[in-house]
Amino acid sequence: MRDKPILIVGGGPAGLSAAHAVAASGRKAVLVDKADRLGGAPILQGYAKLVPSHEWAKDAIGGMVDRVRQNPNVTVRTGTEVQSFAGNPGDFVATLKDGTRVNAEAAILATGFTHFDSLNKPEWGFGTYPDVVTTVQVEQMISSGQGIRCPSDGRVPDRVAILLCVGSRDRQIGREWCSKICCTVSANIAMEIRELSPKTNVYIYYMDIRTFGLYEGEYYWKSQEEARVKYIKARIAEVTSDGKRLVVKGEDTLVKRPITIPFDMVVHAIGMDPNVDNMTLSAVFGVGLNRYGYVDKASTYAGLAQTSRPGVYVCGAATGPETIDDSIAQGQAAAVAAMTLAGVGLAQAAE
Amino acid sequence: MPIHEKSLIRPENLITNDSLVIDGVDVSGHWSTFIKSRTITDYNEAMEDEIAALPGGENIHRCWQCGSCTNACTVNAVNPDFNPRYWIYLIRQGLEEELLRDKDIIWQCVSCNKCTYACPRDVLPEGVMKATAHWLELKGHTPKSPSTHFDEGFTESILATGKIEEGRVLRTFFQRTGQPLNQPWLVALVGGLVKRFPLGYLIRMGWSTVFRPRTSNWRRTGRAIEEYVSERRAEQAKALGLDTKGGH
Repeated sequence: MRDKPILIVGGGPAGLSAAHAVAASGRKAVLVDKADRLGGAPILQGYAKLVPSHEWAKDAIGGMVDRVRQNPNVTVRTGTEVQSFAGNPGDFVATLKDGTRVNAEAAILATGFTHFDSLNKPEWGFGTYPDVVTTVQVEQMISSGQGIRCPSDGRVPDRVAILLCVGSRDRQIGREWCSKICCTVSANIAMEIRELSPKTNVYIYYMDIRTFGLYEGEYYWKSQEEARVKYIKARIAEVTSDGKRLVVKGEDTLVKRPITIPFDMVVHAIGMDPNVDNMTLSAVFGVGLNRYGYVDKASTYAGLAQTSRPGVYVCGAATGPETIDDSIAQGQAAAVAAMTLAGVGLAQAAE
Repeated sequence: MPIHEKSLIRPENLITNDSLVIDGVDVSGHWSTFIKSRTITDYNEAMEDEIAALPGGENIHRCWQCGSCTNACTVNAVNPDFNPRYWIYLIRQGLEEELLRDKDIIWQCVSCNKCTYACPRDVLPEGVMKATAHWLELKGHTPKSPSTHFDEGFTESILATGKIEEGRVLRTFFQRTGQPLNQPWLVALVGGLVKRFPLGYLIRMGWSTVFRPRTSNWRRTGRAIEEYVSERRAEQAKALGLDTKGGH
C-alpha cells in the first residue's frame, strides 16, 4: 500500500480536479499554490460566466475549491512555491519556500498559463487609452456587477470593438499558436454586453473564427443570430483616438477597403501565454518545455499527462492553451497516471 | 509610389485640376492626379434594420459572408456584377452610396431560390433581394418596377371585389407600365376566345367587365384586409423613416 501523497502544483481547475480525484481514490494529496487562495485564473482574475455552462466562475470553480478544502485527504498549502524537487518515482522529496518538506509518490504540474500582456502590442492602444481594455477586464466588469462602462468617464459605450488574436497567431511577438478559447470567450462576452446594455453595438474583428465543436452554435451563431453581434473580417492595424472616441484602423478585407471607424471601447481578446514561471518550473522539476514554452508532454496517445521526467505529470493549460472543462478532464487523467505511476516502468514502480 | 491595385480605383475618384495651387505648390494637370479616399469612416447601423423591417429581409443579420448565394445565383452567372453576398455586406455596414451604385440591377433577381437552398445560415438571400428592391423603391432611389405595378393592380382588384379579374389586372398593368393593349399575342388570344367561346359565356364576360361581381360578404373581409395592409405599410414607412404611405 502506497501511503505517500501525490504532490499537486497549482490550484486552478486542473489542479483542483486532480486533487479531488486523488482524494476520492482514498489517497493523500498535497496541493501547493503560489497565490494566497485556490481557484486559479477563473477565481483570481474574477471571471464572470463560464463557457459552456454559463455558470458564474465563483460558483462553479468556487464549488471545486470548497470540495477540495473540505476533503481531509487533501493538504492545502497556499502562498508558497516548490523550491526544490529531488528523488525518484515513488520517492520524491519536495522542499517548499516556507521550509516544509513533502515526501511524495509522484508530482502533477497543474501550473496553468499567464494571460498575454497587451502592452506588447502597443499599436492597439492598451496602456495608452483607458478605454482600451482586455477580455479579462470585461469579465471583471460583468462579475463585479458594475456593468459595461468606459473606464475613462464611466459612460455606457454606444459601440464596442473586440479584437481577436491579441497575443496569438502572431510571429511578430513570437506567439505562433492559437489560444483556442478567445473566439468563444469573445462571442460570449459580446452576448453579455448586448444583454447588459442592448443599445451597445458590438463588432468583432477576426481573421478566422475558431469556435470549435459545439461552440459554433452556442456562441458564434447565437451571438450573430440572437444578439446581433457583427463580425468584420479584418486584422486591425492600429487603435488611436480623435480626442473624443477611439479610432480603429484597418482593412475590411471583404470589400477591400480601408476603415477608420470610431468606437467607445476596444476590447483585446488576449491569448494564453505559457506561465511566466515555466523556466523556473522546468529547472526545479527537471521537465522539458516545448518550442512554445509550455510544459512538454512525453507522448500524445499512450501516456497522457506524462512529462519528460518519469513520475512527474502535467495537465491543463500548463501544456498549452486549454479550456476549463478539458483542463478538469486532464486533471483526472493526470491523477490516475500519478497514482499508478504510469510510464515509469515496472522495475521502478515495484520498488 | 506606383498604384498596385488599379482595379480598386474608379474613374470618378480620379481628380485632376486645370489650375490648383496648394500652399504655394502648383498641383495642376495630369501629373498631379488626386485619388479620392475609399476609406470607410463610419458604420450606419440603421440600414440593416430598415431592410430587416421589410418582408424577406428579416434574416439578413445572420449572414457570415460565405458567398454561397452569389455562387449559386442564376443572374450572377450572366452578370458578374449581380452579387447578393456583397450587397448584404454593404447593407449590414450601412454603405448606402455603394449599394446605390447597383440600384439598377438589384431588381433583376429572378427568384429562382437557388440561393435559398444553398445558404447554410437560412439568410434567405432571395427575400433580402426582394426587400432591397422594395427598399430602393420606397426610398425613391428607383422608380416603381413593372412587378410593383403588377402587384398593386392585383391587390387593388382583390381589395375591391375579392376576385382576381385577369382582364382588369392585365389592362391596369399595361396602362401603368406604358405598354399598348394592342399586343399581337393578346389580340390573337382574344380573337381565339371570341371565335371559340359559346355566346352566352362571352355575354357573361362582357357583363362582368361592366358590373363587377363581388365575393359575397366581401365588404367586411375586404376592409379587414385593407386595414391590415395599411397597418403594415405604416409600420414599414415608420421603420424606413418615411412620412408618406408608399409602397405595396
